[in-house]
Amino acid sequence: MEAIPISPESYNLGFIGAGKMAESIARGVVKSGVLPPQRISTAVHSNPNRRIAFESFGVGVRSNNSAVVEASDVVIFSVKPQVVKDVVLQLKPMLSEKKLLVSVAAGVKLKDLQEWAGHSRFIRVMPNTPSAIGEGATVMSLGGAATEEDGELISKLFGSVGKVWRADEKSFDGITGLSGSGPAYIFLAIEALADGGVAAGVPRELALGLASQTVLGAASMVTKSGKHPGQLKDDVASPGGTTIAGVHELENGGLRGILMNAVVAAAKRSRELS
Amino acid sequence: MEAIPISPESYKLGFIGAGKMAESIARGVVQSGVLPPQRISTAVHSNPNRRIAFESFGVGVRSNNSAVVEASDVVIFSVKPQVVKDVVLQLKPMLSEKKLLVSVAAGVKLKDLQEWAGHSRFIRVMPNTPSAIGEGATVMSLGGAATEEDGELISKLFGSVGKVWRADEKSFDGITGLSGSGPAYIFLAIEALADGGVAAGVPRELALGSSITNCSCIFHVLGAASMVTKSGKHPGQLKDDIASYYGTTIAGVHELEKGGLRGILMNAVVAAAKAKPRAVLELASSL
Repeated sequence: MEAIPISPESYNLGFIGAGKMAESIARGVVKSGVLPPQRISTAVHSNPNRRIAFESFGVGVRSNNSAVVEASDVVIFSVKPQVVKDVVLQLKPMLSEKKLLVSVAAGVKLKDLQEWAGHSRFIRVMPNTPSAIGEGATVMSLGGAATEEDGELISKLFGSVGKVWRADEKSFDGITGLSGSGPAYIFLAIEALADGGVAAGVPRELALGLASQTVLGAASMVTKSGKHPGQLKDDVASPGGTTIAGVHELENGGLRGILMNAVVAAAKRSRELS
Repeated sequence: MEAIPISPESYKLGFIGAGKMAESIARGVVQSGVLPPQRISTAVHSNPNRRIAFESFGVGVRSNNSAVVEASDVVIFSVKPQVVKDVVLQLKPMLSEKKLLVSVAAGVKLKDLQEWAGHSRFIRVMPNTPSAIGEGATVMSLGGAATEEDGELISKLFGSVGKVWRADEKSFDGITGLSGSGPAYIFLAIEALADGGVAAGVPRELALGSSITNCSCIFHVLGAASMVTKSGKHPGQLKDDIASYYGTTIAGVHELEKGGLRGILMNAVVAAAKAKPRAVLELASSL
């Protein structure tokens, strides 16, 4: 049976779980004009600050999850991974295949989500922390009964907080290790670069500002130029210069291997947890 | 004798050296509305492509450097470090203290620039490569007779291609090692992260990207750096915020600490800061 299409112009969106991720997405969606806040709702159980946070930009806050599901055509499960199963099972009677279901829970597989919901019109999404400032790298995988249009709708939602890619679910652990956990590696690197600057005689505040802006600029060059990062490195490392001296230290120290180790270890942990 | 102020609303800008850095700054300045192109000029000697590049967005191209200096209140020396000395000496008769002089030549000190020009209304500026895409990290140091207003004027110019800071010239070697050479370290890191992704089962096109906009790996690096610049939080705090109890992130971080990533990055900055590039050595030996 083919899924009933969801109308992009009039669908209502509901968040089960009113945490930071839900808030980031809701804010991004409203700010970019993808949805007006009146078409968004969530439920807050205990923490009044969460109610205030959502109401402050016009999102409807209901008293319980059932009310949110009732009012929504697209339901995003944004609760912690440990409670997703219970929450989905609890709401199962209301989760008809007319509704498009989405999960952003790290490590929770489509197979299980679909089993708990009783149907496979589910999309699994993995956003990352910088979604909170609109610079997210989000990956999604479509469940069995999710249509292409469903995929585009969700792509548009998460596109309001950054970039979106489609991928096979089997790559998700690797993606977690790379772009899910990646920001932490960059925070470490920025701190270390700043420390290096201070060691080389740059005042701390300047060193930290330069470190983060340099990383931002370099990453922007890779995204915008379309050139291979190895080519970009060649372009800037002139013979006998300061840059190649720095690069030499990185190679001697095995920076590349260490970064690979980090991604692989995080991916392995993701597999263990799921 | 106090320097005659340069009027921000009407000053003319000239580039001595019509290379990529000059073009990036000129484009940034025009695009951001800091200066209309009619108030900018440069000179192109041999390569017609450079003339075309500048004229394509309305910058005046003269036949020689003297004409550029004549027409300008602010003169940016954007020639290679090895030739700065000769170029400044050659133009010295026209370089009155009415003109604000700027050098972006890596490794060339204010002391020398001021000696060659015959006055100290000079500002030394160190931009970095991502200025070409408007995300530069630029640091400047004011010479003896450069005023606060001069500093603000130059700050606004370079602010059109990224962020600008002021610093003592004595920090400039360290700055070279950090923001000057830093982009290369990040290019390496991005390639390695993508390789890690592939090792962990992510297809290459998704890990690194097969076209400009299709780049998962890269985008998280950009997002993370943005979080540091925009949040005002310490990167250590940001790392703590996202490395949750027994999660995947702390597993990755553990590998970085085990491998000594921090020390390696520090080594790179220090080594680059200490390195005496061939260009500067050649220049030094000609003094």
